[in-house]
Amino acid sequence: MSSIEKLATGRAKYTLDYPELGTGPVSYEDSISEEFYQAEHEAIFRRTWLKVGRVEQLPRNGTFFTREFRGLGSIVISRHTDGEVYALHNVCAHRGNKVVWQEHPGEESKGSARQFQCKYHGWRYGLDGRCSYVTKRDQFFDSLPDDELGMPQLRCEVLAGFIFVNFSQDAPTLRDFLGEKLVTELEAWPFEKFTNHWGFKTLIKGNWKIGIDALLEWYHPAYVHGRFLNADMSKAEKLVPPMDSYHYDLFAPHMLTSVPGPPPLKKRTQSVGPAQRDQDWVYRLFRGGIFGPDDLPEDIDYLTPERNPGNIQYWSNDQYWLFPNLSIQLWHRGYYITYQYIPESVGTHSYEVDIYFPEPKNVTERLGQELVVDSTIEFAMQDTNTVEATWSALNNRAQGTFHLSDMELMIRQFHHVVREAVAAHQAGKEK
Amino acid sequence: MSTTTGTLPGKFSVLEPWVEDWALASRPERYAKRLTKTIDELGEFYDAIAPLAEEAIAYLDTFEVNDLPEAETRLLHLLYSMIMVSYPVNIFKQPRIPDSGAAFFNATVEPAI
Repeated sequence: MSSIEKLATGRAKYTLDYPELGTGPVSYEDSISEEFYQAEHEAIFRRTWLKVGRVEQLPRNGTFFTREFRGLGSIVISRHTDGEVYALHNVCAHRGNKVVWQEHPGEESKGSARQFQCKYHGWRYGLDGRCSYVTKRDQFFDSLPDDELGMPQLRCEVLAGFIFVNFSQDAPTLRDFLGEKLVTELEAWPFEKFTNHWGFKTLIKGNWKIGIDALLEWYHPAYVHGRFLNADMSKAEKLVPPMDSYHYDLFAPHMLTSVPGPPPLKKRTQSVGPAQRDQDWVYRLFRGGIFGPDDLPEDIDYLTPERNPGNIQYWSNDQYWLFPNLSIQLWHRGYYITYQYIPESVGTHSYEVDIYFPEPKNVTERLGQELVVDSTIEFAMQDTNTVEATWSALNNRAQGTFHLSDMELMIRQFHHVVREAVAAHQAGKEK
Repeated sequence: MSTTTGTLPGKFSVLEPWVEDWALASRPERYAKRLTKTIDELGEFYDAIAPLAEEAIAYLDTFEVNDLPEAETRLLHLLYSMIMVSYPVNIFKQPRIPDSGAAFFNATVEPAI
């Protein structure tokens, strides 16, 4: 028996623990219907906490960045002179011009400023959005409400260094929305020590949920990524851990899966030997791979009792899914990754992958990080191409229902939670 | 520190012919270069640098990672490029990721070093 087969626990199917999900075929109409897309936008994206960035992007008072969310609007996230983080609708109180942009109004920007000045007629705003100066004030009328003028604030809260906004005034607080379990387990990770950052972004031709589905199961790796593992598919299949070795916790609307992986290599004590055209040799040389660097940062104190809550063997990473569109992966080998899926239309979404390591202490550590980033992105590009293929095939409605195995319980749960959120919002409106 | 007659630290001067193409500071540049090359050209670069890589890493580890001189920085960039070509040479047998179609990731942030 191979070491990977020994990870099998023999436990019964996971999906049966969640009877509300059923086990029957599912429809993906929720991913191709324009009408459902509009309903989802209203029910979820206009009233749920959405991650817009991290506090490291606002290192000093007076720094800011903008986000362009199609269908939701342009927003400015800033650190005001009071040190607090604000989120503002990027619109002038005078005649509605977009206030903060550089060169191209549709592109995101960042920088630092004492005030924002509208490019149209020069009105000025503090970084908290309050209007501080109206040009040629004497030409206006007594009806101009000087004290109320501003770029409207959105609700904005920070948790574990992640900045979230909410377009609704009625939503619960971020902490209530995430719940005590998620807050506790996320806050136990010292995100502020992981500042060596790579960011990637691409536009995917596919519904955002189909993009998320691709990361919600461990059925595909031997096939989509087979060549990374072994050119022989039957051997590649044996390199993916057995299905009952994972941990799942579906605490709706959020969820967690913990994933096993190989233990890191031992400390290097001898040469890796003559050069070979063999990726395993490259992994040994640069001391890293798709499961992370082999030299763990020992001084960062990130391996707390909150990690690996399901106590799986050979724990590699905890993958939290924060409803609706954010995954935060916390890795045993001392780094974290976020994946975010931002819908732009029923058939397109912006896909953002961000990878964060501690600052490398030497060149060896830096090269290990480079190999992990490269491996992660090579895998991710294969995944995105599969997402585009799936969406284009789904979209012709030649098949009406689809079949999900026990390995795909998180996909079943995710679509269920989205449909429930839409139904609940629509039921509320009809009352 | 070793004396430098070319653009690389002296004992790695055998890699000088690869500097122009592969001593590239950013990941997008390295990925773009990979796509302009044939798999045979990627293999030639890999075969040239791989035998020196372990020694190069040990040499660079004698410097402060955030304060590498210019020649040493070029050598580090060559090692980044070795990583960039390693999957094509060792696994894909082609410059593109198989089944990556039109997929392309824009790098929005990367470390200064």
